[in-house]
Amino acid sequence: MHGSADDPLIARVADALRQPVPLAPGFDARVMAAVRRSPPSLPLRAWTWLREPRVVAVSPLGVLAMAAGMAGLLVVGAVSREPGAGSREPRAGSQELTTVAAAASVTFVLVAPQARSVALAGDFNDWDAARALMRREASGLWTVDVPLTPGRYRYVFVVDGRRFVADPAAPRAVGDDFGTPTSVVTIGGGGTHAAGGSL
Amino acid sequence: MNAKPLMLALLLGALVLPRAARAQTQRLTGRLPEHTRAEVAALVDSARGAGLPADPLVNKALEGASKGADGARIVAAVRALAGGLARARAILGAGATEPELVAGAAALRAGAPPAFVERLRREYPREPLVVPLAVMADLVARGVPADTAAQSVLALVRVGVREAELVAFRHSVERDIALGAPAGAAAAIRVNAAERDLGATVLLPGSLPPRPRKP
Repeated sequence: MHGSADDPLIARVADALRQPVPLAPGFDARVMAAVRRSPPSLPLRAWTWLREPRVVAVSPLGVLAMAAGMAGLLVVGAVSREPGAGSREPRAGSQELTTVAAAASVTFVLVAPQARSVALAGDFNDWDAARALMRREASGLWTVDVPLTPGRYRYVFVVDGRRFVADPAAPRAVGDDFGTPTSVVTIGGGGTHAAGGSL
Repeated sequence: MNAKPLMLALLLGALVLPRAARAQTQRLTGRLPEHTRAEVAALVDSARGAGLPADPLVNKALEGASKGADGARIVAAVRALAGGLARARAILGAGATEPELVAGAAALRAGAPPAFVERLRREYPREPLVVPLAVMADLVARGVPADTAAQSVLALVRVGVREAELVAFRHSVERDIALGAPAGAAAAIRVNAAERDLGATVLLPGSLPPRPRKP
């Protein structure tokens, strides 16, 4: 069917459509209530939950626990950075120390047939000889394995509990601050280092 | 969280965190006389406040204690090391690792020209420099003149030697010296030998660094 705005029938229909539709009282309120009842999407709910300010009650004990946890994380971090923390690597021969990757088990060797005891003191064990007593092997060979991370370490052998002996086969530290020669061992990321000698 | 627990947590954190940081100085307890321990702890705290590593300083104090040094000598040694670490950091940069600072301080103390350390870092900003610096210090300790040692190490690093090869170079020089060779000549001869072994031309300082060799 074809027609135009000048058609009387079309004009009457258009007038009727232009009249406002009477709505029942409370229609708007019912629609809005229905909208509010419909559940929002999950992301919208999550975003709303995250943005909404709320009060969290924490007991003093809980606060202490949180503080202790933070301190624990710091301590764990500090310990993991200490020289010696790490996995062991295969040891090398009596004269050669092999250092591999992050932490390597370094074998320190001293030939001292006359010694009754030999210990190792250095930057890696708080210079406490009691923490690295060396084992006596055949022919007066004394050895001990120490895990070391890359770095440069100063050390001495402590013979018979009182005599400080520098490693005859290792470089000497520059400057003996305390009047006794000190040796150094350097651990690289993947180098081979020698240490150990005889008295 | 409301304000009160938050403030309490921050307060406790402020109390706990420095305690954790001071754990290193607690290693001194029982190892040093109290007045020496206090002086060393103050030096360590000051160094830490300046961003320097605390462990090497504590280790130095413990070395002195282990060797029976008197308090004044221990404090002087710790103070000197703190100064050395600060100089090393000034040259190697704030991003230098603790092992690099320790090796750098040792190299500078041995007499390495600061320009050598600076150049090493500038040319190899992302390479670990512990071994080159340590080898340099070790060579000087064996009697190689500091300038010769520095130039030898720099030349070898520039041709891309690996850490193990650098250590092997040091071994060779030490062996030659033990056999009676003059220290400086031993280093020069071994640098030339490394040139032959590596099939590369060892460049004199001042030349551009070549591309590092692949492992």
